[in-house]
Amino acid sequence: MKLMPAIVRVENLVKEFRTIERREGLLGALQDLFHPRYRTIRAVDGISFEVRAGEMVGYIGPNGAGKSTTIKMLTGILVPTAGTVTANGYVPWRDRAAYTATIGVVFGQRTQLWWDIAVIESFRLLKKIYNVSDADFRARLRYFDELLEVGRYLHTPVRKLSLGERMRCDVAAALLHNPPLVFLDEPTIGLDIVAKENIRSFLREVNQRYGTTILLTTHDLSDIEQLCNRLIIIDRGRLLFDGELTALRDQLWREQAIRVFLKDRDQADVLERLQVPGATCERLDALTYRLRFPRAERRVAEVIRAVVNAVEVRDIVIEEQSIEDVVRRVYLGEVLQEARR
Amino acid sequence: MSLPVLLEFARIGFVNMLAFRLRYYTGVVTYFINVTVYYFIWRAIYRMDPTYAGLTFQEMVTYVAVGWVIRSMYFNNIDTQMAADILEGRISLVLLKPVSVQWSYIARALGESAFRLGMLTTPTALVLALVFPVQPPASVAHFGAFVVALLASVLMVGALNFIVGTCALVLTSILGLLRAKFWAQELLSGLLVPISLFPSPFREICAWLPFQHIAFTPLMIYLGRLSWPEILRVLLLDWVWVVVLLLFGAWYWRRLSVRLTVHGG
Repeated sequence: MKLMPAIVRVENLVKEFRTIERREGLLGALQDLFHPRYRTIRAVDGISFEVRAGEMVGYIGPNGAGKSTTIKMLTGILVPTAGTVTANGYVPWRDRAAYTATIGVVFGQRTQLWWDIAVIESFRLLKKIYNVSDADFRARLRYFDELLEVGRYLHTPVRKLSLGERMRCDVAAALLHNPPLVFLDEPTIGLDIVAKENIRSFLREVNQRYGTTILLTTHDLSDIEQLCNRLIIIDRGRLLFDGELTALRDQLWREQAIRVFLKDRDQADVLERLQVPGATCERLDALTYRLRFPRAERRVAEVIRAVVNAVEVRDIVIEEQSIEDVVRRVYLGEVLQEARR
Repeated sequence: MSLPVLLEFARIGFVNMLAFRLRYYTGVVTYFINVTVYYFIWRAIYRMDPTYAGLTFQEMVTYVAVGWVIRSMYFNNIDTQMAADILEGRISLVLLKPVSVQWSYIARALGESAFRLGMLTTPTALVLALVFPVQPPASVAHFGAFVVALLASVLMVGALNFIVGTCALVLTSILGLLRAKFWAQELLSGLLVPISLFPSPFREICAWLPFQHIAFTPLMIYLGRLSWPEILRVLLLDWVWVVVLLLFGAWYWRRLSVRLTVHGG
């Protein structure tokens, strides 16, 4: 992969919010009135990363990790407490008007379309705002209709659309001016499998065709698996991991397991007596066993060969560790070292 | 913000009102009732003193009727809309567009005013003119000056409401402020009672505030109660106020938006 220039550069980004800490009871409420106790919350606590042109980056973390706050600073809505951001050559919050002309944003939980009027009216407003030519406008509407099938909703008021239909229109609206940089905050939230797949393939297609850089947050890890070559994990405002998905999996998936289904009971004794070096054998039920061994030391093929040479098996299943398992372990605090850049 | 974008926002404001057009059939009734109430109050007062406040009864009825007719046009609630957008976080969607926040709201208000002019102001004016003894404007020239003053009213209400809406950036609850501003505007604009009837120190204070230009001065022009030099002076002052309030609003927004926190999601 040739190295593209960095399009987004984030350095030591910090965002603090000040909230009033409420005291309990009536007396407490009165005290709050005259001497409020403030508490400072660090939603984002010193995050740094870069995104190169044409990359598709997944930005994930448990609820309250600071994902949305980061996105809001990257899109110029919020002003950070400390740290710097440059994106498309702008400082987002300082050059808001010029900068926002060069990006597209989708907030999955909110619509940017006008609620009570037909979708096409919102599109026409966006066309004027971003100064899209008539020819480009028509061509892109056709293109969006091909991939997202938004054509038949264009004349329906947004409030009458289903969530999936609305989200497709929202994604189309964010890309109407063909921005080089797109932020998506939970673009697949609440969608069914077909709608999700539809949006994913659209994003893939746009990324390939126009080299659009995409940064997305999600709780659905299949979004990451299918779209992103790179993953950034944050929690409590701090960066936990930044690297390729495969690197994360390699690092945390230290133990491989295979499940062995035996032909009959006689084979059970043989298997239990069999010593595969480095592997531990665990009985799941009368005819099913699980063998576990370190991925770094034993190859799956070796272990399987040793097993089938010794016993008669009905079947063998290689247990894949899902991305969910890997990420769950990161969220639960599994230490990450080497893959951190 | 360029003119085509401004017009497009105004068009959206207009189209958005179309979705609620039914509300305006009832609007005509509401305005009619308001004028009727004031009609009977003033009739009772004029029975006691036929030259009250230097206006004849017919002039007073005209003041009230035309006052409510123009209110139906200059009124907008972008302060309430902004407050809701800010408190519910929808403001982020405005900030994500390469447009001036101030002008996107004011342009929408202008589109709504254009819509009201057709759907509410005109039918209300027709009904009131048929039922009550409303005078025509003092002359064609006076009517022209009245229209110029009215355009300033629309922009001034937009500029004022933008400033009030901006306060939502630092307040968790803005309902009290919105109410207070609503009634202050109704009273200080001279809509409820002509400012010339206010007691002396209060009247002088009003002369230094922008509110009287919303209703009182346009109506005085309509009635022909001002001489031409006075009209020119008032119109100039009126438009200076509009520019000052727009500039202040832009500055105030820039200053407070740094402290924005967007809740949820």
